[in-house]
Amino acid sequence: MSSLPTDASAVIVDVVMPQMGVSVAEGLLVAWHKQVGDWVLADETICEISTDKIDTEVPAPASGRVVELLVEQEQTVPVGSVLARIATDAVAGDPHPDEQGPVISRVTPSGPPPAPQRPSPVVRRIAEREGIDLARVTGTGRGGRVRKQDVLAYLQDRERADGPAPGESAAPPAPLHIESPYRDEPLGQPLSRMRRTIAEHMVRSLHTAAHCTSIMEVDMSAVEAARAGRGLTGLAFVARATIDALQAHPELNATLEDGVLTRHADANLGIAVSLGEEGLIVPVIANAQELSVQGLAERIRELAVRARAGELRPDEVSGGTFTITNPGSFGTLASTPIINQPQVAILDLEAVVKRAVVVTDDQGDSIAIRPMTNLCLSWDHRALDGALAAQFLATLRMRLQDWRSA
Amino acid sequence: MPELTYLQAISEGLREEMRCDERVFVMGEDVGEFGGAFKVTDGMLQEFGERRVMDTPLAESAIIGAAVGAAVVGLRPVCEMQFADFVACGFDQLVNVAGKMHYRQGLAVPLTVRLPSGGGFSGGPFHSQNPEAWFMHAPGLKVLAPSTAEDAKGLLIAAIRDPNPVCFFEHKHLYRRIKGEVPAGAYETPMTARVARPGTDLVVIAYGAMVWTALEATEDLDGASIEVLDLRSLVPLDTAAILDSVARCSKVVVVDEANATCAAGAQVAAFIAQHAFEHLDGPVMRVGTPDVPIAFSPPLERALLPQVSDIAEVCRELLAY
Repeated sequence: MSSLPTDASAVIVDVVMPQMGVSVAEGLLVAWHKQVGDWVLADETICEISTDKIDTEVPAPASGRVVELLVEQEQTVPVGSVLARIATDAVAGDPHPDEQGPVISRVTPSGPPPAPQRPSPVVRRIAEREGIDLARVTGTGRGGRVRKQDVLAYLQDRERADGPAPGESAAPPAPLHIESPYRDEPLGQPLSRMRRTIAEHMVRSLHTAAHCTSIMEVDMSAVEAARAGRGLTGLAFVARATIDALQAHPELNATLEDGVLTRHADANLGIAVSLGEEGLIVPVIANAQELSVQGLAERIRELAVRARAGELRPDEVSGGTFTITNPGSFGTLASTPIINQPQVAILDLEAVVKRAVVVTDDQGDSIAIRPMTNLCLSWDHRALDGALAAQFLATLRMRLQDWRSA
Repeated sequence: MPELTYLQAISEGLREEMRCDERVFVMGEDVGEFGGAFKVTDGMLQEFGERRVMDTPLAESAIIGAAVGAAVVGLRPVCEMQFADFVACGFDQLVNVAGKMHYRQGLAVPLTVRLPSGGGFSGGPFHSQNPEAWFMHAPGLKVLAPSTAEDAKGLLIAAIRDPNPVCFFEHKHLYRRIKGEVPAGAYETPMTARVARPGTDLVVIAYGAMVWTALEATEDLDGASIEVLDLRSLVPLDTAAILDSVARCSKVVVVDEANATCAAGAQVAAFIAQHAFEHLDGPVMRVGTPDVPIAFSPPLERALLPQVSDIAEVCRELLAY
């Protein structure tokens, strides 16, 4: 039969075949109720036995872990034979919870568990959001545990040391929400530094420029065909076509500041990169006109990776002359983007969706399924007029619809 | 506004609803001539007559069963269980008949069962229980448990007007101990939670008499800012209010006067563990009555029911965590 290794210091109690009447000399082991390794409480049934007179259960003589079973089921052994061995202390493994018996307490469980040196969910979340190294925070909880108030105090000190964001006064402390929650008010959070910067730029742009948005529908069949063979995104093709259109219409590759309009010879193309909930950043591809579709695709990919890793240098996010934003990757069909000041236009690339469209060719009109998208151009009516915006879009459309690998 | 006891507020709510809605009537043991064991229906027989204030035999199954029938045909019965504990005899009518009627037959059961519950006055094992959770576990029933006089009146009226069967738990120990300003006239209190005291460091979630115990326990805990959330309604449970409190306070103590296992607070704690984990700064702590019958002996009863000092101790421990 099986057995467990036991510590030499373990106290072993034997379970023996009981004497069940003077005339009984042996008994049959009918079934084990416990296996090696099981915990058994004193007086709990450990096995069933049978003699020629009666069937009965054998109670455990002591509480402990079953370390050895010496008799097989259906085996007959003499009275007094050792059936099993129980280790009552110094055994490997955890104590059995039943050993402690039920505890009556109004507090369930009695007292919080010992504080682990692990941040609680709320502390971890605040630290991650605010980029705090918790090792630098002084914990005042049990055993030096960092509590929520500790990380909040650290954050407050840090913000005080940093001073308010440029052009911003420090955010007022969030008001204590005390009203009854059945009004269903969500919990307020002050904007992050990045969101505050985005907010300030966006509002300033809306207040500064005379925004108009023109939308043009484009058949992307040619681009899709070219793209499929090369594993590139549609964005790289649109970027390349945009650069071509900007060279044809330099009025849009311009900046307008303090009443001075400057046209730029180089196309420094900004590409909006989403950083998820955190916000958005626009790295700039300087001299983008020098790059092929392949080169643009690689540059966009590399900038996006570095943007998300927070590794962009300051000169890589400034000096743009035109910006492309690409929310269509999430399925939108039309948007009215806000111009990235001091530029005069921004192009928004929308989802490419298969549609039934009317196609005219030598055979006349027919309905075809084509991958279509909308190009949405927001432009500054101070710097240019609608006709020019439309011409730019028309050039862009032609370039995309008649795409031939350059 | 007049100041009424919790008991007077319940009585007034019932009386006003009977005055403005002829369909409302009362059934129960000794609710007529005697005016109810706790005098909630005192004088109602004289005012409304014996067709609307009916004494019944000592048979909770018959009281609730007859009331379900009355409710199905359009009346608005209010049944009084002399003690909440006795509802066990009417369990089948409430849980299987009333609670499932709408699901099975599409019929509304606008039934209110008043359940005087709770201990703290040496009532012993049959007169001290808090069986709210029995009914929380039964789909189709609403479960209310007000702690203030104003809420007791408003929630009773809301219960009577509700098209569903409602178990209205009124805490006996609050009957004459709690007084408060109660608006005149008929009004409904929403079946949502109430912030009994706002705070930021820790929230104690409770209902019924434990709201007062929690308020007293946390009035001055070494200057900590402690919120007390009074659930008021257990079904529906105001999960938005719970999430809101937990998000602000990050530390939670849930208090039940009921036997702790599977009590209302267990549901609240489980909800928080699942939906507010990211807001927690410590384990969700529970204070409740151990899983034993309530003793007659005053010192033993005190040893069982959560006391001010128990809640204070758990709050202190959790604050220090």
